[in-house]
Amino acid sequence: MANSANTNTVPKLYRSVIEDVINDVRDIFLDDGVDEQVLMELKTLWENKLMQSRAVDGFHSEEQQLLLQVQQQHQPQQQQHHHHHHHQQAQPQQTVPQQAQTQQVLIPASQQAAAPQVIVPDSKLIQHMNASNMSAAATAATLALPAGVTPVQQILTNSGQLLQVVRAANGAQYIFQPQQSVVLQQQVIPQMQPGGVQAPVIQQVLAPLPGGISPQTGVIIQPQQILFTGNKTQVIPTTVATPTPAQAQITATGQQQPQAQPAQQQAPLVLQVDGTGDTSSEEDEDEEEDYDDDEEEDKEKDGAEDGQVEEEPLNSEDDVSDEEGQELFDTENVVVCQYDKIHRSKNKWKFHLKDGIMNLNGRDYIFSKAIGDAEW
Amino acid sequence: MAYQLYRNTTLGNSLQESLDELIQSQQITPQLALQVLLQFDKAINSALAQRVRNRVNFRGSLNTYRFCDNVWTFVLNDVEFREVTELIKVDKVKIVACDGKSKYSSNYCESKATSNLVFCWCLFV
Repeated sequence: MANSANTNTVPKLYRSVIEDVINDVRDIFLDDGVDEQVLMELKTLWENKLMQSRAVDGFHSEEQQLLLQVQQQHQPQQQQHHHHHHHQQAQPQQTVPQQAQTQQVLIPASQQAAAPQVIVPDSKLIQHMNASNMSAAATAATLALPAGVTPVQQILTNSGQLLQVVRAANGAQYIFQPQQSVVLQQQVIPQMQPGGVQAPVIQQVLAPLPGGISPQTGVIIQPQQILFTGNKTQVIPTTVATPTPAQAQITATGQQQPQAQPAQQQAPLVLQVDGTGDTSSEEDEDEEEDYDDDEEEDKEKDGAEDGQVEEEPLNSEDDVSDEEGQELFDTENVVVCQYDKIHRSKNKWKFHLKDGIMNLNGRDYIFSKAIGDAEW
Repeated sequence: MAYQLYRNTTLGNSLQESLDELIQSQQITPQLALQVLLQFDKAINSALAQRVRNRVNFRGSLNTYRFCDNVWTFVLNDVEFREVTELIKVDKVKIVACDGKSKYSSNYCESKATSNLVFCWCLFV
């Protein structure tokens, strides 16, 4: 595979670093009188977060690898047995029994899918579930769903874990596990009450809600539909044309909800007919002094009757600098490294870098040497 | 003292978050967490130096450059990163690089890498 080199080396390196660190601090922990169990908890937390970040492909905990080996080596029927064991070991909670059965059927399908794409979310899901004490059935549901089921489905887990699996009609899988939007949605949750049907907004199951808030919320990609389920895991078939608009819709509509409310509370704008320059803000006074000529021209252009003159648009085109925080939800691609040599000739720059960790398009890469060219 | 540069990576941030959670639940002291992070710095520095052996090339256009406290910070646009196995394209990338030769300025490097504030305006956009 094209990216096999990177997907092999990065998880291995991370793992080795984790092992080294944990082993090295064991003494420090003991010196401080901290129990070994806390150390293990640190390791688990660390590995879970790595998996949640989706920046690294492949499994990152021994538990994950054991589970994968078990699933890969045994046949589907045996897998069910294993999952039974896992279910029993995991949690006493059980979701709808139907789902348990479908999960087991689906899990072998997911294994046969044989794509790292499937595996990665699986591992993350498993970790999610283990961390949040989700029922094993729900765990398997979220695991299995991406691969085996043909209609587009969304999985709502009863522990409040956000998991959205979209499978387009053409078979392409799209597993959506947004984390930023989880935060966003958390703002929305208080507004949602059980049994209520909201305006066309895509609601999402939130990350583990503290307290006894029962797992709810249907996640629906189509903005027109609102589903609201209470206290049970549901699989809601939807029809989605493409995954990416769905994601955009989700995040967009997720934003709509909190924004709708403040918008409603704002009073209608009062039109100003006597021109600019009468506000008390400092910015406007400066603008007034600097751009008197422009204002006169603009007043003539705008017309006296309509009169709606806002200060900001007058000078907004003058600003050339680009925004720094453009895309809210995209990761900023960062490279953290050391430089051997930085060279410049006129406006041609050459970079000789080493020992770097890159996070590009949400994924982690590592290099021992990097050479680059750029024009300023 | 190893560079604290790598704390603002996926690996480093997840470690810091985990440590913060343990501090919140009062299972460890902040001092202990700091020790862990220092140990992480050593481990990641040596791992990168010894266990990684691959090369990457990249090309793009330079938007901004900054050299302050021996730390280079670049922002490049429309960059292609090329490894033997794959090609990665990004619209914008920020590169933070500490001096590869001298390890004495580890504190500076850490602060420049993790904060967006720069106290000395060395370069102009």
